[in-house]
Formats: sequence, C-alpha cells, structure tokens
Amino acid sequence: MNRSLTLLTAVAAASLVLTSCSGAGAGSGNKEGSKAELTFWHGYTEADGKVLNKIVEDFNASQSEVSIKVQTNPWSVIDDTLLPALSSGNGPDIVAMPAERLPVYADKGAFVELDDLYKDPNSNLDKLVPAAADMETVNGHKYGVPSGFVPLAMFYNKDLFAKAGITTPPATWDQWIAAAKKLTVDANGDGTPEQFGLGLPDHATVANGVWPSLFYGNGGDIVKDGKAVVDSPENAETLKTWVDAIRNDKISPTGLDGIAGDKLFSSGKAAMYLGGPWMSSIAKENNINYGIAAVPAGPKDQAASAIGVSMAIIEQKDDSKAAAAQKFFSYFLQKEQATAWSLGSGWPPLRSDIPAADVAANPVVEALTKQSGFGRPLLPGVVNSTDTLTAVDKLTQRAVAGESIQDLLSETQASIQKILDAK
Amino acid sequence: MSTTLHPQLASRSTGTGTRSTKRSALNRALVVALLALATAVILLPIAIIAFTAFKPAAEVNAFPPTLIPGQWTLDNFARIFQELPFARLIANSFIFAGGVTLFALLFDSLAAYALARIDFTGKKILLIAIIASLMIPFQATLVPVYQLASELGWVNTFAALIVPRAADAFGIFFLRQFFLSLPRDLDNAARIDGASEWRVYWNIVLPNAMPAVLTLGVFVFVNNWNDLLWPLIFTTDREMGTLTSGLTLLTGPGGIVPYGVMMAGALVAILPLAAIFMFVQRRFIESVATTGLK
Amino acid sequence: MSTTVHKKPPETRRYRAPAPLGGRRNPAIGQRRKNFQALAFLLPALVVLGAFTAWPMFSALRLSFTDASGFGKEEWVGFENYTRIFTDPVIINAVVNTALYALLFTPTAVALALALALLLNDPRLPFRGFFRTALFLPFIISLAVAAIAWAYLIDPQVGLLNYWLGNAGIRIGNVLQDPVLAMPAVAFVAVWKSFGFYMVIFLAGLQEIPGTLYEAARVDGAGPWTRFRHVTMPMLSNTTAFVLIFALIAALQAFDQIYVMTGGGPYGHTETVVMQIYTSGFRKLDVGFASALSYVLLAATLLLSVIQFVFFGKREREGD
Repeated sequence: MNRSLTLLTAVAAASLVLTSCSGAGAGSGNKEGSKAELTFWHGYTEADGKVLNKIVEDFNASQSEVSIKVQTNPWSVIDDTLLPALSSGNGPDIVAMPAERLPVYADKGAFVELDDLYKDPNSNLDKLVPAAADMETVNGHKYGVPSGFVPLAMFYNKDLFAKAGITTPPATWDQWIAAAKKLTVDANGDGTPEQFGLGLPDHATVANGVWPSLFYGNGGDIVKDGKAVVDSPENAETLKTWVDAIRNDKISPTGLDGIAGDKLFSSGKAAMYLGGPWMSSIAKENNINYGIAAVPAGPKDQAASAIGVSMAIIEQKDDSKAAAAQKFFSYFLQKEQATAWSLGSGWPPLRSDIPAADVAANPVVEALTKQSGFGRPLLPGVVNSTDTLTAVDKLTQRAVAGESIQDLLSETQASIQKILDAK
Repeated sequence: MSTTLHPQLASRSTGTGTRSTKRSALNRALVVALLALATAVILLPIAIIAFTAFKPAAEVNAFPPTLIPGQWTLDNFARIFQELPFARLIANSFIFAGGVTLFALLFDSLAAYALARIDFTGKKILLIAIIASLMIPFQATLVPVYQLASELGWVNTFAALIVPRAADAFGIFFLRQFFLSLPRDLDNAARIDGASEWRVYWNIVLPNAMPAVLTLGVFVFVNNWNDLLWPLIFTTDREMGTLTSGLTLLTGPGGIVPYGVMMAGALVAILPLAAIFMFVQRRFIESVATTGLK
Repeated sequence: MSTTVHKKPPETRRYRAPAPLGGRRNPAIGQRRKNFQALAFLLPALVVLGAFTAWPMFSALRLSFTDASGFGKEEWVGFENYTRIFTDPVIINAVVNTALYALLFTPTAVALALALALLLNDPRLPFRGFFRTALFLPFIISLAVAAIAWAYLIDPQVGLLNYWLGNAGIRIGNVLQDPVLAMPAVAFVAVWKSFGFYMVIFLAGLQEIPGTLYEAARVDGAGPWTRFRHVTMPMLSNTTAFVLIFALIAALQAFDQIYVMTGGGPYGHTETVVMQIYTSGFRKLDVGFASALSYVLLAATLLLSVIQFVFFGKREREGD
C-alpha cells in the first residue's frame, strides 16, 4: 500500500504544479492603486476586432483611472462561455453580444441598468441612431449600449443582372419579384432551376431578419408592445406573396438557411440575396461582381430588420467598475471614435449626426449608411427571443413547405403570446 | 480461462473440401469488393476535408463542385499559422489531452482493478453509481463544475482542464470489463507467493491488459483533443486555449469560419491524432485483433 | 468478455477457496481488510469523480427544484420544473425524437460494428490491416467537424455527393431540411463517426472465443449461420451488452452533429432532449428547468439500460 500512497502524493503534487503553471489570472481582479481594471469580451474576430482593440488601447492611454483588457470570444460561443463565468462571478466586466440576446440576461439581473447614463448629456448616448438605442430597452429600462446596428441590405450579382438585361436593382416588391422571375433559369427544364433569382432562406435566416423585414414591408410585425401581433391580414398577404413566388415561380430554393444562402449567392447560383455587411467581403472572396441596394420597399413601408450588437456591463458588487465601464462607452461614442469604428468595422455609424459622406472612404459603409434609416431592431425587449424566433422559423418554413398560412399564423400567434406571457 | 487460441483460428478451414475452399475464395473477393466500396464512402468526408483545405476561397463554393482543387493553395494554412499562436495552441492541446489521458488511464485502471478483483462491501452499488453518472449529459453539470474549478482558482490553468477529467466512469467500466476476462490463475499464483494487491495490479494485470489500456487511451485522447467547449469555457485567456478551441478565433464574416480555413484547421488537428494512432496501431488494433483486449 | 459458459462455476469456486487475502481467522476482519485495500485503489478516481461528477450532479439535482438562472438569486419551486417537462409539447416532441434517434442509431451502429468485426476477423481476408485502419479513421475526427464535412457533401446546391448522385440520376434533395429524412441523416453521421470504436471492441471480444468451440460446431455439421447463432452470439453476449449500453447512452445524449447540421430543424424534427437542455440552460438561462430535464433523461436512460441489461446480458457477467 505504501506505493499507492507514494503514487497519490505524486499525483497530488503534479496537480499542484499544474495549478501553479497557469497562464495569466482570470483577469478582472487585481487592483493597481485606484485604477479600475476591466475585462471586455467581444466577438469581433476580424479586421473589426483589431479596430475595436485599437479604440480600447487609445481609451486606456487617454486617461489614467481605467484600464480595459480585451478578450475575444466569438459570437457563436459567447452564450456558452458567459453563463458559467457569470455563475461564479468570474466573467468579464463588459460584454458584447448579439442584440437579441441582451434582454434575457438583463431580465435575469446580469447587467447594470443604464438609465442615468442615457440621461447624462455628456455620455454621447443622446446622439445614437434612435432605432439602435431601442434595442437596449428591457422592461422599460436601458441595459446596454449598441456597438453595431445595420439593416439587412440587398446584395445583387451584377453579371447575372446584365445577362438578364436588368440595369437597376428593384426598388419595390413588384419589381423585385419580376426581376427574380426573370433571373431564375431552368435551362434543362427539369423543374429545378440551375440559377435562382433570389436566395430567400425560410429559416435560420441572416440574423433572423429576412422574414421580419418582409413583414414590415407590408405593415406587419411580430411582437408589438409586449403583445404577439403576428396573426394579421398583412402578414398573411406577405406570406402568400412570397410563398407563391418560391413555390410556384421557384425564384428561390426551399429549405434554405442563412449559411446555405450565403453559399448560394457566393457560388453565383442566386442573383439576389439579403445579407449583412460581411456579404461584401464574402462576395469579393468568391469573385462575385456585386452591388448593394436597400431591401425593396413593400406595399406599405420600406423597412429592414437590423443586425444589432449590444455592449453591457456585468452587475457586480464593485460599483466603481460599472462607472469605469460607462466612461468607456461615452468615449467609444465620441464622434471621432464612432467614425473610426464605422469605417473599421464596415458597419454604419452609430451616431445619427455622422452623415454618409463622412464615411465615404469605405463605399460599402457609405451605401449601408444611406439605408440606416430603414433599420428596425429585432424583437426589442423580448426576453425569450430564443423561443419567439424558433416559432417564427417554424411558421415560415412550414408555410414555404406548403401548409395552410392561416392555420400557421393563428398557431404561431398563440405560441408567441404564450412565450411572452410566461415571464 | 478463455485465453488466446490462435492456432485453432488458423486451422479452422482445414478438413473442408477444395470446392468449398474455392467458394470461400470467391466469397472473400466479394467481401473485399464490398468492403472497398464501403471504405470509399466512409473515407469520402475525410477526403473532402483534406482537399478543401487546399482550395482557394472561390473554389470552395463553386458550382459544379469538385473533389480535387483546380488550383492548390496554402492560404488556408497560412491564416492558421499567422493569426493563431499555433505552437502554443498545439502544445496546450498535447498537455491537455495527454495529461487527461495519463491521469485517466492510471486512475481508471486502479479503480477498475478494485472493481474486478477485490470483493469489497458496496461494490455493486458503486458500480451502478459509476455507470449512472454517465447518463447525465455534461451540459447539465458544466455550470457546477465550472463553479468548483473557479473557487479553486483554476480558471485559465491546466488544472481546470485536466483534473476534472482525471478519472472517468466510462474508462473505469471499460477496463473493469477487460480485467474480468483476464485469467485469475496468474494473479492467484502471485498472491499465494505473497504478492500484494498493488503488485498483482502493477506486475500482472496491467501488463496483460495493455491493449485495452491503449484502446482506452486512444479513446480518451481523441475525445479531449477534439473537445471544443471544455477548453473554451475553462480558459478565457486565448494563450491557454487548445488547437480546437483556438480555431474558433478564425471565425470570419457573418460569424462563420470560412470553409477552407475550417477544413485546413481540421486537417491540422487530425494529423497529430493520425500520427499517434499509426504509432500505437501495432500494439493497438493489431494486438486487439489477434489476441483480444487482454 | 469473461464468461466461458461451461467452465466458469468450478473456476470461480477454486478462486474463492484458498482465501489468500487474510481471511484466516475472522471473516469480518478479512472483509475489512479487503475494503481497505479496495479503497486505496479506488481513492484517486473517487476523489475526482466525487468532486467533479457526483457533487455537480447533486448540485444540478438541487437546482432542478429551483428557478435558478445559474447566477443571481434563485427560488425554490418544488416540482414545477418537472411538471412543465411533462406538459410542454416542445419537450414531448424532443423526447419522441430522441427515442427515434436512439432506435435509428443504436442498432445500426452496433450491427454495423459487429458485421464489420466479423468480416475483419477472418485472418485470410486480403488487406485486412488496411481496412481496419481505414474503418477506424472516422473515429479520430470530431463529431462537429464530421457534421460540417457531411453537410457540405450533401448540400443541395453545391454539395459534391449530391452533384455526383444527381449526375447518376439519383435525386436525394435537401435531406437535412426534409422532415422525414433529417433524423436518419444526423443519426447516420453519428454512426459513421462511432462504429469504428465499437468494431474494435467487438474484434477484441471475438478473440476470446476459443476456436475449439467452432471446431466442435463444425464437427456437428453446423453451417456459418448456426455457428454465428449458437457460438458467436452467446459467447459475445457480454461484449454486446457492454457496447449496446454505451451506444444507447451516447444516443440518448445526441447533440453535437444535430446542433451543427440542422439546429433541431426542420421545424423541430431533429430537436432532441439534450438540445433542449442546452437551449434551456445556455440560451434561455433557465438552468433549473435544464437540470430537471437532465434528471428525467438520467432516469429514462437508467430504466432503458436496466431493460437492455436484463434482455441481452442474462448470462453470468460478474467474474467473481
């Protein structure tokens, strides 16, 4: 038995060694004099990440009270890492996340309420694009500051347009559907086009925004003032119009999701596509000669669902950290930084007082900035956005699969209302 | 009991007539053809990973699709090597997966030995508890495990990555099964000669169970090497990440890792595993196949 | 793996008879000593499993009776989470899907592994070593990467496999978005990934069957099927029970490839229990509910395992 004991001791010792040969500590704890040390998690992994890190560095250098350390945490895994971190008070002090993810955390008390900051005239928050600020309201209070807000835009393949003899991108739904039909090519007549006029995903769409955008265009919505409003004659008409175009005119494949849609457009098999700013770099990588236009106006309205990213401050005992983080937000939204961030991230400026001309250095940003006014936040303040979006996906996918639109709408209405009532 | 009896295996066909030998040769040819077809289908995804890794971005989604790149490029690999602290990540991967494997093999085999060879009170209940612990999905216990590791101050250390997995229920049960199949004559003889249980474990049971231990080793190593969520959650400091978790940092536009880069990353991650697998293959699959797991 | 049907009992007795471990005077003292020895061997594993498996399990059990979000305050809600599980149609759907997945995955993976093990066990088979290695290769690839590769291959627009099959006149369509085909597709990817490991375990089990048994069967005029039915299967019953239970546990926790390939779709047709546990915990921050669902899964798995154990493992299995 002695040997077992020796072995155990060895193992215990090894564990100790392992423990001590760690990398840096968890990050947020150590205090250096009175300087607040903050950790900031964000998912900007590309050129945008470098620009954001530069802004943070500049902020650190600009004053002596606050120092922020950045850790990259890709959007796809931020929920997986944040919950364990929150559960042990080991998380970041500032976190950026997709905007529709903010309400559930805010509702559970994870984030610091920012009403006072929004009232502070020196915080720069009054300059925000109003729709972007709307993303941050949960249960009547502000819990976040936007770091990104961009409406979906229409990307189109200029070569395919030229081949079909179309010179300008469609501006209304009628033109849109007409163009899509014209751009749908089934050369071998087997009933499956080789080229589609439009890549219109029927579920898991780009930032979940494609169908909301279509609903807005005809004056419909999903949730309004905390009530489900999805079962409306407007939405029924919208679904009928687009399901017809997909099923009968085959302008888009069925069963498409956002990722498959990206592939469809970048392989040159779809002439038009609704996407986020990153479509421009994907298209470029794939040698697609593309153009950007606004989502065509519907019969009632021109609007597009926006892709949003929010930053929030983690609620913790130490109030000084929350104050320090707020200083960063104000700095981040100064005109100079907001412009630099817009150009660097490829997203339109978050301040309404920066005109498109100021970001003309990046033509994509300039084009998107001109569409900024069409942007509408996705399900602002809806705590259980997960289930709500699942319900919408189910609605659109089953509608495109040919089920009765009216039945689906009333079913979806009931299930969304139930989701909203649950908490 | 039930020791290896290869001579009989080889002699199986003796005594049967030439006609049936011919027929069985034909059958074998058919089997080989079928196996070859199945193997081709089975290897297709691996081939697509390997070839896509060398495709330029424009070719990845091109239509019509091709298996072999029209134009070979190393760009995808370049991104991995340039944008990630590659040497650090691969070292971390080895420390993490290797550390878990070493500890787990030792601790699991010790526990398995007790469960297979020593009659102690409450053995059945312990065995059932060990199997039952496998039946709760790890997603359910992740938060409490993290809380514990955090309280121990282990976040961002190898301890957090390795210690919680230093023993696992599957391994214990797996090794116990194989220890049970080892003949007891040997260890009884040793016991009569006065050998301690430790000596029986270390000198008799463990060496004879080596193929089983190596099989489990491959299993544990592969699973941990490929694990994404575990290192992501326990190490927020990217210098402490593993190859698998580090690849998420190459997430491209729209929150998607570009396919070519992802495949290059997968290929780079597979290569060390394949090398290790080939290395232990002789002791592992071959010995398993010819002598059984014992 | 142990068991040789005929000779076991005498041998077991022969082992116990000498009682070499100090049971000379008082059997109670002998037992205490054995317990002590066992504890020494078990201690490292028990410490690790106790701290990082058992304690988190108890913690999850406690949370399952609360409305915990994982952080902040939590309130005791009694059995509310459990009643929600049995009344929520989304969860019921996930339970049905998980059962379907287990029915698709477990027999397929185990049967395929067994069939290939039998084929590859023939020492006269040409290229045996190559096939063994090649067939095991999928196991070293992570399920998530495998899922991405397969999804890429069968993509209805740009998928290579789809394109080849299309050229051969076979239309498989959009498999992952087909309410009927999506579940078999995700189960197939898991079978692809895991059969190699099960195959190796079967190969090992096969080596333990004494050739003399086959010889005897042959002398009695038994054909290949009879030999399989009356020699191989009974002799492999322990291995089969072992593989089946672990395949079943894996099946009931299906997550990775589904998360990657379909995200639970099309409209919930591949939603599984663990997908719901993940969504409830990490997306809706309803950790209490996720914990309760995990315990329901645990109970169901335990029940099914016992049934399977009784059914396939009737024979003597304890080596002592």
